[in-house]
Amino acid sequence: MRKKNKRVRQIKLFVFFSLLLTLLIILIVSTVGRQEFNAPHKLALEIIGTAQYGMTWITKSVKNGWRNYTLLVNVREENVRLREELQKHKAANNKYREAAATNIRLTKLLAIKEAIPTPTLTAEIIGMDPSQWFKTMIIDRGSNDGVQIGMPVITVEGAVGQVTNTSPNYAKILLATDPNSALDGLVQTTRVQGIIKGGGSVFHMEYVLKNNEVLKGDRIITSGLGGVFPKGVPIGTVSKVEKSGRGMFQKIEIEPAADFSQLEHLIIVMRKDPLAK
Amino acid sequence: MVLSFLFLSGVALLLLQTTLLSFLPEWFGRPNLLFLFIVFLGTYLDIYKGAVLTLVFGLIMDIFSGVFLGLHPVIFLVLFFILQFLSRHLTINESIYQIPLVALSYLFTASSIFIFTSILTPENWLYWAWGNEILQALILSMICIPFFNLFHWLTTVFDSNSKKANNHFRRQKTGNRYRKQ
Repeated sequence: MRKKNKRVRQIKLFVFFSLLLTLLIILIVSTVGRQEFNAPHKLALEIIGTAQYGMTWITKSVKNGWRNYTLLVNVREENVRLREELQKHKAANNKYREAAATNIRLTKLLAIKEAIPTPTLTAEIIGMDPSQWFKTMIIDRGSNDGVQIGMPVITVEGAVGQVTNTSPNYAKILLATDPNSALDGLVQTTRVQGIIKGGGSVFHMEYVLKNNEVLKGDRIITSGLGGVFPKGVPIGTVSKVEKSGRGMFQKIEIEPAADFSQLEHLIIVMRKDPLAK
Repeated sequence: MVLSFLFLSGVALLLLQTTLLSFLPEWFGRPNLLFLFIVFLGTYLDIYKGAVLTLVFGLIMDIFSGVFLGLHPVIFLVLFFILQFLSRHLTINESIYQIPLVALSYLFTASSIFIFTSILTPENWLYWAWGNEILQALILSMICIPFFNLFHWLTTVFDSNSKKANNHFRRQKTGNRYRKQ
């Protein structure tokens, strides 16, 4: 009996270590090789992405409903007697305001779409990265719409990130604020070049020599050198410059031009041959 | 039956986390529900079913988070086996121990992601933000007991072979687990 138990324990231990070893091999192989999604990954993204799309739609409807409800409560508190009338005016006002805001946003989108020579595609965010460690998001456009890995993603304010994976109807974007992201940038006034790396909520401009002049408040734009982003897309504004300390390079912190907490509609620049694979 | 239910629950939690909870302000904290679910699998489920589900959720998590494929399955499985080992040798299924267990598990997972990512891409700086990590550990510790009780109850309800249904609100007592049978 005891011998049998010992054997069972040995088998379990063997299974455990085999599983662990297999997974470590998976990790090593997958990280050394290319980071592209395979068929099961794409299928899972398609299925869960569709559910995410539905969930986002419900969330936005609830959010809008809640916003309308709070407005209604405020109106009721202000004037009970004129509640119904005021509600109508408020609703109409909100509708016009929303229409005006949409108009402004779409005008800006149109302006930037016209400013960029290559064809563009607008996309909506349907899911955010659930982890605190990475900055990625899922959008409602995929390879069926012509989205390819490496395509740059921007907003009317500035650079947002790059497409890293696609499935037929959805795509994953690596935000420029992620530490694994890097893009070529330059100071708009002095044309000093550097590499913009993600730093969580800000950017860091690297490889800028100490004898180059970079000042707080300088605007940083894409250089177009990496072949990924078109030239002149705003990246952000210099918020901190440190020249003290060892090394040849300055430490430059950049406040992003795009508000990453308020992202809603994105523009994908449909470059024919995205290089960032 | 139970496996299908747990799989669908995990997917629903991931959906909730990537959509609805992402609208919460950052200072308020966004509870990592899928992580809590993995801890639940590690402490309540048997090794085979639990390992399979943990692996599947790790693979799914890779699609929606991060840039390295294989990172989440490995970290989740290591955590799962540690929790399995602990649940066999210590009385961690008692609710009083679940709070520090969840907090420590979270810190283990966060540091593992930090270390693995730093090894895989040494040229990139990954930032360890103590404030965010402590806030997340605190939120998870606070919600872990009702979360575990809910899923324990649901699991026993869905598991037709189990006789433990409807005992979820009672404080779990493990008895003398060290007595030789």
